[in-house]
Amino acid sequence: MAPDSGSFPEEPLLKVLPLDARDRGTQRCRLGPAAFRALGAHLGSAVKISLPDRGSCLCAAWLRRDGADGFVQLDPQCASPGTAVGASGFRGSLSLRSLRLVSCPSLRLLTVWPVLRERAGAPGALNPAAVLEAAQELLRNRPVSRGHVVAAPPGAPGPVAALHIVSGAPSPDPAGLVTPRTRISLSGVPPSEAEPQAEVPLGGLSEAADSLRELLRLPLRYPRTLAALGLALPRGVLLAGPPGVGKTQLVRAVVREAGAELLAVSAPALQGARPGETEENVRQVFERARELASRRPTLLFLDEVDALCPRRGGPHRAAESRVVAQVLTLLDGISGDREVVVVASTNRPDALDPALRRPGRFDREVVIGTPTLKQRKAILQVITSKMPISSQVDLSLLAEMTVGYVGADLTALCREAALHALLHSEKNKDNPAVDEADFLEAFKRIQPSSFRSIVGLMDIKPVGWEQIGGLEDVKLKLKQSIEWPLKFPREFVRMGLTQPKGVLLYGPPGCAKTTLVRVLATSCHCSFVSVSGADLFSPFVGDSEKVLSQVFRQARANTPAIVFLDEIDSILGSRPISKTECNVQERVLSVLLNELDGVGLKTIERRGSKSDQQGKYKELKKNEELEFQEAFNRNVMIVAATNRPDVLDDALLRPGRLDKIIYIPPPDEKGRLSILKVCTKNMPMEPDVSLENLAAVTCFFSGADLGNLCKEAALLALQENGLEATTVKQEHFLKSLKTVKPSLSPKNLTLYENLFQKQGFSNLEDI
Amino acid sequence: MTQDQPLLAVHEALRKCFPVVEEQQGLWQSTLRDSQPLLASLSNLAEQLQAAHNLRFEDVPPLRAFPDLKERLRRKQLAAGDTVLDKLGERLATLLKVRDTVSRHVEQVLEIYEQHADSIGIDALLQASVVSPSVADMLEWLQDIERHYRNSYLKRKYLLSSIQWGDLANIQALPKAWDQISEDEHQSLVQDTLLNVSFFLEE
Repeated sequence: MAPDSGSFPEEPLLKVLPLDARDRGTQRCRLGPAAFRALGAHLGSAVKISLPDRGSCLCAAWLRRDGADGFVQLDPQCASPGTAVGASGFRGSLSLRSLRLVSCPSLRLLTVWPVLRERAGAPGALNPAAVLEAAQELLRNRPVSRGHVVAAPPGAPGPVAALHIVSGAPSPDPAGLVTPRTRISLSGVPPSEAEPQAEVPLGGLSEAADSLRELLRLPLRYPRTLAALGLALPRGVLLAGPPGVGKTQLVRAVVREAGAELLAVSAPALQGARPGETEENVRQVFERARELASRRPTLLFLDEVDALCPRRGGPHRAAESRVVAQVLTLLDGISGDREVVVVASTNRPDALDPALRRPGRFDREVVIGTPTLKQRKAILQVITSKMPISSQVDLSLLAEMTVGYVGADLTALCREAALHALLHSEKNKDNPAVDEADFLEAFKRIQPSSFRSIVGLMDIKPVGWEQIGGLEDVKLKLKQSIEWPLKFPREFVRMGLTQPKGVLLYGPPGCAKTTLVRVLATSCHCSFVSVSGADLFSPFVGDSEKVLSQVFRQARANTPAIVFLDEIDSILGSRPISKTECNVQERVLSVLLNELDGVGLKTIERRGSKSDQQGKYKELKKNEELEFQEAFNRNVMIVAATNRPDVLDDALLRPGRLDKIIYIPPPDEKGRLSILKVCTKNMPMEPDVSLENLAAVTCFFSGADLGNLCKEAALLALQENGLEATTVKQEHFLKSLKTVKPSLSPKNLTLYENLFQKQGFSNLEDI
Repeated sequence: MTQDQPLLAVHEALRKCFPVVEEQQGLWQSTLRDSQPLLASLSNLAEQLQAAHNLRFEDVPPLRAFPDLKERLRRKQLAAGDTVLDKLGERLATLLKVRDTVSRHVEQVLEIYEQHADSIGIDALLQASVVSPSVADMLEWLQDIERHYRNSYLKRKYLLSSIQWGDLANIQALPKAWDQISEDEHQSLVQDTLLNVSFFLEE
């Protein structure tokens, strides 16, 4: 029909231009005369256009008004679902080959599935007749194709937002024309989603996800069975867990996977200023959810629900309790129709009104804790799956290092590492690979969010074991009780050992107790929390206890963790038998005793998956090293230091609480020598200085005294020789030895020794 | 001459169609004009209802003598409202008739074009002269006009069907919403088109 189609050049490209405003909603495809001729089209004939993103759309061919060639304008009103053409800024070009003229017979019958517009007037007005009429109006005189979606133009009124073309007679494949004589009917069954949507991978949340998935899918998959059983499925889930562990992410992923509709509302956004406004907002949200649910399974997600439903009662909380009551009634009302699943999330489940937490309202409570080692590894795997990572990066090691990091922190860590790799690697600008050093650099910058508000978090100057002179056996003991369980869990399990709960370091002042702890914190990769009296004591009754238990709660969330109590005697004291009244220190002591060896953990502190938690070591033996480590390091270790162990309460010193009691003796001659060596490492000294001699004469000198001695000697050298002094001589040491007196005396040393003996006895008796 | 035969047939059809459109446009406009006072009175009624609703009759001494005044008044007002709504319904039916007439004629023209489509070349379709626009343009205009009537009618219909006596504020805003519909769309689309083709029609 087009005689000169051969004159057209080989496969010309048509530039896609944005649509004219007046063509919107016309389903026209404007082409130049040359393309028109090549296609052999005439005005209004149906053209099927294959789009670059594998979609297609059906248009009516029409001529460009200016008659220019080489351009195409599309109105993708009838297109395969999910195509991104038109207003969303589709640019580029199409080859003429992707345009195809299709025959377009008139249809006798057409079946469509309507996608209804949300909030189409009053809820009662949505009768099928109105929908059918709207569908007829929308489809009139349009070419349609099976599997395509006809979208209503955005400004148009009516209850229908889009129509899926399901089938027709004759079959509208590739195209069919709807005429006023076409009989249109509505399909009850939604068309099956052609392609499953891309899944958002979730790291380490599989158990919680399963629970949610079940709620969403069961009523869809087995409606008859459930009806036959007369079962009312649980429709409410409360997600509890610290911020950033992925509660919202989880819900979104599950919803997308199940193909359900998600209505996410943040509870604070519902608050209104006027009395009654909040309730109204809540009602509207539930109403909306119900509307959505009439079409497809819907999940209503209330984020931060503790803001909406705090505990009722109290004098000034009338308004709040009205809101809570409203939510309660709405939750109950929803159980009538089983469509809406309500999921709420909070990080303070205890602040919720107890009435919410019963079956029928929030039936299930899923606690998502800070990720454990294994979960962290899974999360890291998910995050780094799309990053160009060099092969040296050991994710297990990274997971081991990132104690207390939640999902959000790990994401931040990876982002920071990637940025670092991008900005600082000069050698390969084009394809940057993230390597271990980048992660370590990022690790310095990103602090876990659960740590940001923790009490007693310390920045510790790293100290190595070798920086403490002497005390070899004490170091060994400490390593045994703290480092080994972290590093060799398999061996510990094999020998039937459990990790000690606590270690008490005692000894005369100035003998490096605190420094030892600092070394510990440096040497094992675990969270380190130091609590002093300043953190604990407050003028309010009960506050100190609360702070202490909070310290332990946070530490438990970040296991493995070490809680360090310096000068524990001043914090706790002991409970005298004679007196009956209870002062702050005793109450703090009782809290500590409970935390160390209480009955169990609070439910909201649950971490990891349940099966792991109940897992026996026997079962675990089959599994990997990681799991060993994980199972073993669930508890918090406490390290206390004191120089007055005699005033401590006996209950604290029994095995199971502070079960390792380590005496840190004043340095003996060999110890003093090594301390002197450490102290004088950075001092220029005359060759005549004999540290051995000094060590011999400094009996009863503690480590601190020896440090002081060296300092004095150096100062003396400066004083005598003026500021030009370059070296410290033996005489300086001897001179300063006369002024510096030892802080230890035989008397109080014997006190410690005797105490040690007694303690030894009591340990024997326990055994 | 035989080559021009199909084109002439389409021209003929177009010449027949445009006067119909012109006539129907006049009817459409006059119907719209007629509806405006009706909507205004409906809006007034809604205002009255609102006022009656807000008034506490027992507090006004002269009104206290009449029993059930409030209910009677309300019934009366609602009855008046229903009368107005009926009249509006008639107007809407007129609009529908206009729409259907235009649709039918436009369809006929397009059918005639379809029949001859294969024998009319692209150049002939695009050929325009000083007095006559191209056939492609005229067909497009007809389609646009038809779509314009359909959309406009639909919007008005949905507007009227959204009236509920429970929502008085909505009714009070009706005249504005009605005018808004006219403003939103190409008010002068039909007029402009008719002007464009006036020489063609006189030919």
